[in-house]
Amino acid sequence: MADVVIRSLFKKYGNHRVIENLNLEIHDGEFVTLLGPSGCGKTTLLRMIAGLEPIDNGELFINGKLYNHIPPQKRSLAMVFQSYALFPHMTVRKNICFGMKIKKLSKSEMDRKFEWVINLLRLKELENRLPREISGGQRQRVALARSLVLDPEVLLLDEPLSNLDAALRETASEELKRIHRQLGKTIIYVTHNQVEAMTMSERIALFRFGRIEQYDKPRVLYDSPATVFSAEFIGSPKMNFYEGEIEIRNNVAGIKTDLAFLKLDKEREKTIFSMPGRKILAGIRPQTVYYTGHLLRRRYTDTEVEILAELVENMGDRSLVVGRTEAGTLIRFIITREEKIDQDKRMKIFIDGRRIHVFDPITQLNIFR
Amino acid sequence: MLWFTGIICALVIVIGPVYLLLKYSVSDINSINTGGNPVPMWPYNPTLQAYVYLFSDSHFYQVLLNSVVISLFTIALGMILGIPASYVLGRYKLPGRKVLLLMIISVRLFPDIASVIPVVEFFIKIGMHQTYLGVILAHTLLALPYIIFIGAGAFESIPDDLEGQAIILGANRFQTFFKLLFPLAMPGLAAAAIYTFLLSWDEFIFSYFLMLGKQEIYTLTLYLNGIKYAEPQNLLAAISVCLSIPVIAFSFMVQKYMVAGISAGSVK
Amino acid sequence: MKNRRICWEMIILSDFKRTLSIENVKQWFFKTWPIFPAMFYLMSFLVIVLFYLIGLSLNHPCSEINFPTFASFTELFKNEYFNSALINTTLFMILGTPLELITGLFLSFLIFRSFFMRGVIRSLFLIPLALPALVTAMLLFVLFDFPGGHINHIITGGYSWFPQVFDQPINWRGSKLFSMAIALFGKVWRDMPISMLILLAGINNIDPELFDAAKTMGASFRKRAVHVIMPLMIPSISVVLLLRSVEMWKEFIFPFVLAGRYHLLGTLIDFYYNEIGNSHMAATVSIIMVICIVFSTLILMKILELIQKLIVSR
Ligand SMILES: Nc1ncnc2c1ncn2[C@@H]1O[C@H](COP(=O)(O)OP(=O)(O)OP(=O)(O)O)[C@@H](O)[C@H]1O
Ligand SMILES: [Mg+2]
Repeated sequence: MADVVIRSLFKKYGNHRVIENLNLEIHDGEFVTLLGPSGCGKTTLLRMIAGLEPIDNGELFINGKLYNHIPPQKRSLAMVFQSYALFPHMTVRKNICFGMKIKKLSKSEMDRKFEWVINLLRLKELENRLPREISGGQRQRVALARSLVLDPEVLLLDEPLSNLDAALRETASEELKRIHRQLGKTIIYVTHNQVEAMTMSERIALFRFGRIEQYDKPRVLYDSPATVFSAEFIGSPKMNFYEGEIEIRNNVAGIKTDLAFLKLDKEREKTIFSMPGRKILAGIRPQTVYYTGHLLRRRYTDTEVEILAELVENMGDRSLVVGRTEAGTLIRFIITREEKIDQDKRMKIFIDGRRIHVFDPITQLNIFR
Repeated sequence: MLWFTGIICALVIVIGPVYLLLKYSVSDINSINTGGNPVPMWPYNPTLQAYVYLFSDSHFYQVLLNSVVISLFTIALGMILGIPASYVLGRYKLPGRKVLLLMIISVRLFPDIASVIPVVEFFIKIGMHQTYLGVILAHTLLALPYIIFIGAGAFESIPDDLEGQAIILGANRFQTFFKLLFPLAMPGLAAAAIYTFLLSWDEFIFSYFLMLGKQEIYTLTLYLNGIKYAEPQNLLAAISVCLSIPVIAFSFMVQKYMVAGISAGSVK
Repeated sequence: MKNRRICWEMIILSDFKRTLSIENVKQWFFKTWPIFPAMFYLMSFLVIVLFYLIGLSLNHPCSEINFPTFASFTELFKNEYFNSALINTTLFMILGTPLELITGLFLSFLIFRSFFMRGVIRSLFLIPLALPALVTAMLLFVLFDFPGGHINHIITGGYSWFPQVFDQPINWRGSKLFSMAIALFGKVWRDMPISMLILLAGINNIDPELFDAAKTMGASFRKRAVHVIMPLMIPSISVVLLLRSVEMWKEFIFPFVLAGRYHLLGTLIDFYYNEIGNSHMAATVSIIMVICIVFSTLILMKILELIQKLIVSR
């Protein structure tokens, strides 16, 4: 078990800068997710931590020791590849024992660890099959088992669930969480699936173009996104964005947008009172819009908007509504299954002012962080 | 319909000669020396006497052995040189490796018949003319570009992640090679070995220039060439069949690689 | 911002230093050493070949004439053996290259679309390639025997199923024209599959949707073949022509077995070296063969380029 510290890391392929001035600190035993869109350098970072790619510039510390020039064979960490990288010509047993054989463990030790891991990951009765003879979920567990038997200090997982179907993905992610709880290893987990990231990790490092946009607990990422990109990337359906500027009406400061004059909570209102005219990008999560049909205590900070429900999309336990104001501005929001809305119906909705996110359109930063 | 006729014609053109070859090899002497009558399309009395004669001739055994020994050693030497080279060319994304591979394979465009005189002269100088070793070295020279080409393809087709995983699991370069890359490249390398065998087995130009006049080390092709004016035709055909059988059998085994090689080496 | 620039400068500088450092060269060598034995092997033979070819051809067996001299060349150009061999080979190449293309096109058009047993038939079409060249040559040697070979019996009406064309058997191998023709036939027969495979690969690279598009426009199969496939196959046809023309210049085995008395450049080398024992002349012919190949390839490439331009501009 170990902590991982990365200081101003750089990496480029040819002239293409893949990782740029990256800083990251991971505590001992922590489950950290690297989240980001495809091609933003997540795999590259993992490969650098594993030692498969040389580090152009910057420092990598594990347990306080500089790891830049330690060959991958000697870094006691394990990696599960996106493709699982099971050796196709070896049985499950041989795959799992490969690393132990290389390390020249004794026969009894090897057997003991093997038994332990196939119990842990429920791989009994598969040991003599070849990788192509087992299912995707089983392959993923074999790949994990192969890494765990070596008792690594850090476990690197590169989108281990991306090749599984939805149902299997859920069980597998629960499995992973269970293993993390049981073994308490430091885990660096890569995914571009935000739901996985939100549910599994203790902290999320949100990547964009080889840089970390925000690094915090899932809750914090959701509740107070540091940048427009964070706000956009996290949460589903996507956040609504409106350009506007701060205005004072009836002695109350708010944000004038195409949608409406948006009110904020008391505390923030006080702050923006001093900056009338400032350009603003306001973000509204679909989940923070309420509908009158639902019995609700109205708050002072709620903004009322009248819309026409143009489209109602059923998503099972809830529905996504696309509404249009008279002026033609669109807003997407979520209603529960009890609240029924008919298409093409005029209605009033309320936007929760406490949960409007306010960004500076130029720096793209959250004003209130 | 036109198409069907075309197929039949093509099959006749392609298979006809093979049929005639087999027919000659089982012909009795009366079906060859017909005294002016047309040679029959199927022998009057099919017989295996040509083969019986062949396999009772100790010189033929010697020749067969020579062919086998020379091709086996060619395979060995070719593989020893070729596998490491194809490993590097297939596994490392070195700059210019595509160009290097292309250069290596286009060495084979240089005419054998033009490079044979220098090689023979050089071998005479260092005393390797008319020796097994000389022929083996020459055949290796011819086979090596193909081995490297096919082998590099085999190594290249192994996913990078597998190698990365082996390294992370603690394997050093040799362990990675022997436990992972080599077994996985095996089918391609086997094809390269078979290809080498074929090349050495029916190679003529270098064998001819390097061995001419030294009957003890003749290979099958040279033996066949040497007796073309002297022997009855059924014996010629029988030797031809013996020469061809392994070639045809192995060719069909490595067909996939041959096809890929011919198409890849050309369409680029 | 400024900080960042300094950082980048540092990286570029250190990159540069790393490329040149001994450490880097060492690392590079550590990675690539397994390639060196094979490279050394190929390179040393290359050096030997070039060294001897040049050394031998710029010498002359007469002891009075010293290196370097073009005496071998001048003598060769006066030699009627050589001149006829050069002409023969040129004709061999000019006739044989298109023939190889035509046979290849014939076979590939027969089997490019899928049908029952296509795989088997394609494998059968590879037989000529699988048969050793020497065996094919030997077979033709037997078939075209004089006076009693199969072919002679056929054309003199020996079989009921074939009309009598000649009343006398032909001494195939005794005639320059016929022996060359047989050699050419053998060569083309053996190489059919190679041209076929290259052309098939070319066809397979064509987007199948193009065929469908042509089909929906109502073009008949043959028109489709000519208007859609042909222009797109120009690259693979060019490859066939280039590779095959080189092969034609190099040809040795078929003329060696079937046209022993009448020389091509390849068999002339054998003649000079093994029968006359004049290695200088043999090396000179070798060099001239290489030069011929280079020139004919360059010319052919120019021609193909022109043809391509013509087709595109149309
Ligand atoms: N070996 C390489 N050579 C050149 N460029 C590379 C190489 N490997 C990756 N890249 C580039 O680096 C960038 C980051 O790649 P990386 O594989 O790290 O992305 P990723 O975040 O893992 O994406 P994904 O979610 O799709 O797996 C990509 O733009 C990719 O094209
Ligand atoms: Mg990735």
